[in-house]
Amino acid sequence: MAASTQPVEKRKGILGGLAVVAVVIGLYWSLAVAPPDAYQGEVQRIMYLHLPSILTAYLSYFLVFVGSAMYLWKREKRDDLLAHAAAELGVLFTALTIIEGSIWGKPTWGVWWTWDARLTLTAILLLIYAGYLMLRSLIDDESRAASAAAILGIIGFLDIPLIHMSVYWWRTLHQPPSILRPDKTPWETVHPSLLTALAISFVGFILLYFYLLSLRYRVGEMRQEIKALRLERGA
Amino acid sequence: MELLKHTYLVLSKDLLLELRRRDSVLTMFFFGTLLLFVFHFSFDLPPDKVAEMAPALLWLAFLFTGTLGLAQLFQAERENHCLDALLLSPLDRGALFLAKTSFNLILMLLVELVVMPLFWILFNLSAWNLLPQLFLVTLLGTIGFCVLGTIMSALTLRARARELLLPLVLFPLMIPVILATIRCMESVLKNGEFGDAVSWLKLLLGFDVIFMTVGVLIFDWVIES
Amino acid sequence: MGPWGFVSLAYGIVWAAIVVYWLFLKHRYRQAEAELNRLRSSEAAASHDKR
Repeated sequence: MAASTQPVEKRKGILGGLAVVAVVIGLYWSLAVAPPDAYQGEVQRIMYLHLPSILTAYLSYFLVFVGSAMYLWKREKRDDLLAHAAAELGVLFTALTIIEGSIWGKPTWGVWWTWDARLTLTAILLLIYAGYLMLRSLIDDESRAASAAAILGIIGFLDIPLIHMSVYWWRTLHQPPSILRPDKTPWETVHPSLLTALAISFVGFILLYFYLLSLRYRVGEMRQEIKALRLERGA
Repeated sequence: MELLKHTYLVLSKDLLLELRRRDSVLTMFFFGTLLLFVFHFSFDLPPDKVAEMAPALLWLAFLFTGTLGLAQLFQAERENHCLDALLLSPLDRGALFLAKTSFNLILMLLVELVVMPLFWILFNLSAWNLLPQLFLVTLLGTIGFCVLGTIMSALTLRARARELLLPLVLFPLMIPVILATIRCMESVLKNGEFGDAVSWLKLLLGFDVIFMTVGVLIFDWVIES
Repeated sequence: MGPWGFVSLAYGIVWAAIVVYWLFLKHRYRQAEAELNRLRSSEAAASHDKR
C-alpha cells in the first residue's frame, strides 16, 4: 500500500517546492523590483496579494461547483472530497482577500471597511461557503452531508451572478457624491514590471493553491478510509 | 399534468392540516406583529425617517417571520416516518417541492396581507393607494424567499442546530431578493411608481424563475439527502 | 503607520496565515496517516492470526 502512494507523495513535494520558488520570486518582484505606483505609492503593492487571492478563491469555488455537480451525477467519493477540500481553501483565500482589501483600503480611502461592491461581494462569498462548511459539519450521516453540501455548492454558485448584479446595482445607483468612487481601481498607466510582478505572484498563488488542495484532499481521503476501516471492525 | 396533480394533492393535505390547527399561521402572524413592535421601540424614528426605513423594516420582519414558517415546513413529515412513506410512493419529487413552496407562500402571504396594513397604521404612514404595487413587490420577493427557503429547509432537515443553520445558509443566498424588494419598495414610496426600479423587478422575476426551475429539477436529490 | 507599514501588515498576515494553515494541514495529514497505519497493521495482524 505504502509503495504505491510514493510517486504521488513525490509529485506533491515537487509541486510544493515549485510553489515556494514561485512565491519567493513573486515576493521579491512585488516588493523590490516593481516600482511604486504613481498615485497610490507603496500601498499599491498589496494588489500583488489581493488580485491573486481573489482569483484563487474564484477558482476554488468553481471547483466546488464542479465537484458538487459531478458528485450528484456519478456519486463518486472523489468528487465530494474535491468539493470539500476546495470549499475549505476557498474560505481561507476569501478571508485573506478581505483582510488584504481592508488593509489596502485604510491608507487609500481612510477607512478599514466600506460597503463598496467589491468588498461586500467578497464578504458575501465568505458567508456562503462558510455556511457550506457548517452544513457539512452539522450533518452526521456522511453521505447525506455530501449530498446536501453538493446541492448547496451548486445553488450557491448559480446564485453568485445574481448576487454580483444586485450588489453592483445597489452600489452604483446609490453612490454618495462626496466620497471617492472606491469601485474604480485607480491604475492609470500599467508599467510592465507591475504586470510581471502580478503575473509571478499569481503563478505562485496558483501553485501554492494546488499544493494545499492536494494535501487537504488526501487528508479527506484518509479520513474516509479510517472511518470505513473502523466501521468494519466495529471499533 | 401529473406534476400539478401531485402538487395539488400534497398542498391540499397541508392546507387542510393547517386549517384545522392553525399552528403555523398564528405563530407567524404574532411573531410578525411582535417584530413590528420591537422595531418601533428599537428605532424610535422621527416621522419623516419612517417612510425611508419602512421598506427595510417591513421586509426584515417578513424575512424572520418566514424563517419561522420554513423551520416548520416539513414538521408533519418528520413525525412517524411520514417522509419515508411519501418518498416510497410514486409522488413526483418536483411536485413535493412545488407543494411545500406554495404552502409556505400561502402562509406568508396571509401574514403579509394583515401585517402590511398594520404596519402602515402603527407607523403612521400615508400613501394607502400605493399598497397594491407594494403587494406586487412583496409577492415576488416572497416567492423568491419560499423557493430557496424550501430547498434549504429540506437540505437542513437532518442537521444538528437546524434552527440556526437554516437562516445561516439561506440569508446570504437571499441577498438579491432582499436588495431588489427593498429598492423597489423605496422607489414606489418615493415616486409613486416603479420607474427605474423596474430593473430590480426584472431581477426579482428572474431569480424566482431560475430557482423555481432548479428546485423542481433537483428536489429529488435534496429530499433523498 | 507609513505606507510600508501597511504593506508589511498585509504581507505579514497573509503569509503567516498560509504558513499556519499549511502546518495545520501537515499535522492533520500525519495524524491521519498514523491512524491509518495503525488500523491497517492491526488488520494484517488479525488476519494473520486467523490463518
